[in-house]
Amino acid sequence: MEKIAVIFGGKSAEHDISIITAISTVIKPLELTKKYLVVPIYITKDGKWYSDQKLKDINRYTKKDISETLKKLKPISLSFDNGLELLRQSKFGKVSKEKIDVVFPSMHGTYGEDGTLTGLLEMANVPFVGCDTAASAVAMNKVLAKKVAQSSNINVVKYESFNKVDFKSGLDKISDKVKSNLKFPVFVKPAHLGSSIGISRAKDENDLKNAVELAFFYDDLILVEEEVGNLIEVTLPIIGNHQLTPAFLEKPLTKAEDFFDFDTKYLQGGKKGSKGAKGSQGYSEVPAKLDRELYRKAEEVGLSVYRALNLSGISRVDMLIDSKTNKIYFNEVNPLPGGLYIHNWIKKGISNTEMVERLVELAKDKYNEKNSINTKFSTSYLRQF
Amino acid sequence: MKKLINSLIVFYSLKFAKTITYMLQVSEYRPGKYLKWFWSTDDFSKVITRQQLVKTSKARAIVLGINLGIAIEILTGLVIMFLGANNKIIGGVYYGAALIIVYPIIWSQGIGLLVFMARVLLINPDEKKKIEASKKTFSKTKATKIAVLGSYGKTSMKELLLKVLSKSMNVSATPGNMNVAISHARFANKFTGNEEIVIIEFGEGAPGDIAKFANNTKPDIAIITGLSPAHLDKYKTLEAAAKDLFSISKYVSSKKVYVNLDSKETNKYVTEKEIGYSEEGALGFKVSEVSNSLKGISFTLSKGNKVLNVKSKLIGRHQIAPLSLVAALALQLGMKSADVEGALRETEAYEHRMAPRDLNGATIIDDTYNGNLEGVRAGTNLLKEVKARRKIYVTPGLVDQGKLNKQVHNEMGELITKANPDIVVLMKNSATNFIKEGLHKENFNGQLIIEDDPLHFYSNLASFTANGDVILMQNDWTDIYK
Repeated sequence: MEKIAVIFGGKSAEHDISIITAISTVIKPLELTKKYLVVPIYITKDGKWYSDQKLKDINRYTKKDISETLKKLKPISLSFDNGLELLRQSKFGKVSKEKIDVVFPSMHGTYGEDGTLTGLLEMANVPFVGCDTAASAVAMNKVLAKKVAQSSNINVVKYESFNKVDFKSGLDKISDKVKSNLKFPVFVKPAHLGSSIGISRAKDENDLKNAVELAFFYDDLILVEEEVGNLIEVTLPIIGNHQLTPAFLEKPLTKAEDFFDFDTKYLQGGKKGSKGAKGSQGYSEVPAKLDRELYRKAEEVGLSVYRALNLSGISRVDMLIDSKTNKIYFNEVNPLPGGLYIHNWIKKGISNTEMVERLVELAKDKYNEKNSINTKFSTSYLRQF
Repeated sequence: MKKLINSLIVFYSLKFAKTITYMLQVSEYRPGKYLKWFWSTDDFSKVITRQQLVKTSKARAIVLGINLGIAIEILTGLVIMFLGANNKIIGGVYYGAALIIVYPIIWSQGIGLLVFMARVLLINPDEKKKIEASKKTFSKTKATKIAVLGSYGKTSMKELLLKVLSKSMNVSATPGNMNVAISHARFANKFTGNEEIVIIEFGEGAPGDIAKFANNTKPDIAIITGLSPAHLDKYKTLEAAAKDLFSISKYVSSKKVYVNLDSKETNKYVTEKEIGYSEEGALGFKVSEVSNSLKGISFTLSKGNKVLNVKSKLIGRHQIAPLSLVAALALQLGMKSADVEGALRETEAYEHRMAPRDLNGATIIDDTYNGNLEGVRAGTNLLKEVKARRKIYVTPGLVDQGKLNKQVHNEMGELITKANPDIVVLMKNSATNFIKEGLHKENFNGQLIIEDDPLHFYSNLASFTANGDVILMQNDWTDIYK
């Protein structure tokens, strides 16, 4: 049986969401297929790596403090000598190696979804599920993603971006720039975080300053963008490397002024007072009830974004629609949607077990394709010294 | 070694009494069955897996009795050890220790003996008295008594009759799967005297049972719902089971025994005394215009000018025969056509018997109470007929198949393959390889999954399915079967 390492947790604000994604929608279905041997790798909030079969048990995270389990375990280390190998040290100091055939990263946010982990896996030359390093890095940078999309003639909402240097120059400068270039209300977002962490809506200058401070608390690059009027928010999960398969276009049942924040998505179990399908991220309409032509166009925009950003494996493209003008704007991309957005795929007719199997196959295809490229080039450059 | 350690932990802990009582309860307090299970168990920590001990007053009393007995035994052992240590009993330390150590053996075997003795000395005489008394009640009642018997389909037929006939008449039926002589006696004890129809389910389990039940209840009408390998641990052969079922004809007037001819095996034993019913019709009514889906079945029943439009939420073609018979019988018993049609419209699947339910857009057909080959035939026929994104068949196999175990499971594998499922999930046990042989014989080319832990599979079914899938789950083994 192939050995699949599922990596989750990590130094990210989305650490806890990653645990749920990994255990419920990745590890369990992988095991149900009876095709793979799953090796869980849990990264603590302070960056230590652990691997033990006990770490597949959700109760160790939800009903107890995971640190109790970790006390009895030794952190692992990695070796890249022969692909990816996990090095475990026994109580008597003996080191054993465990070779990994495929890696399934199940991490959200920083140090996981942003390309840092995949960079390590690319160095190890092991097949892994999801986008490669460059695509992940672009996708997880909302500013960069918008720039790449714009260069492919995809509409984006009018925005301004600010970094730590701007922040240090003073909030008034940021506020002035926003006032002169954008119209209130605006949304303020950390550029690298997902799951709506640190996002605020600002109706005026005072709100804006608070929102900017909050966003800089989480990130060193932030984005301020205009609100879309007559908003319909939609999201499109997509899988594939070259041949793309979109899920259903999904509409969160929420109002613009009461946007889909972290609390609504994950803690309340859905939108207050709304009716619809209960997905991994609350209540939503699947498929989104849109005019057929608008649905088709939105799906096309989603697929164009996926291609423009060179995404692979799985991703979710969020879009904003002005229902009066029917103009569709690319909003952001999520290279590893929470819970794989499996509720949507199930409606589309792809079960959780089929999904993980497909993602593993896509990982292997991408790996084989990449390894067929020649990376050796002989030159006489060194001889001149 | 790990299993032995796990078992010893159970034996010498408070779990012991509960585990032993659970084994007795699941064995239906039959000492032979209980002891067979006990001696074939290699890990007592895994005994209570699928269900839990049902805390009836009987079970509570046994748990308390075992615990008290063990406490007395340990105390006695300690006293003997103490006397031994003080040279009052030579070798007392060893005798006392031995008495304590052997308590799991003494109580696990002793309880079997106690239950056996209680059955022979107390329960059997009491039940005999109650059964004798019920004979009079059954004889006196003016109600038409309908006996429902067969290797399978009894409970469904009983519920169907109850549902339809109750629309116009005062009907009483044996509850749940209470279908042996003492259950019939308890049922008779509750008669009000106003019953117009009485439906009695006969749960045969060994040769002579049907004659005994018929002699007690004296039915006016009997329905043989089907014949299939079942309880072959007692009947040994299918012929013996058939002989037992068809012995009903000695106790019921000629032409008042109705036999399901869709059941392949019954055809061999039908004589002119019995009347057949089938997918083609019943009591002179002919079936036409059949429409079958996962939402239910509909067809037309006609006899001369009489036409009935039958619609039911029951699923599968095998339901046509019982629906036809019940409709025809209801008319014969004086019900109006409109009432029969109305009552049939309200019929739906009974729990765990071809009961469809939605799971995120997938249809799960729960047939986990089905435990016979004919049920497998009906289920796989349905699976073959329905349209689905993926067809998934899940089963542990069948139990109590006696000498026919291999043959039945081979045939089961063949039937499954003919339904053309995309995935077959087999719960790993002693029947698995025989089913696999049947699958290979018919060149099954889908995905085969062998699951070690049925509970794990059932509780993660949602991960396995998606919109448009049809999953047929047939039979489910309790902890006693391996």
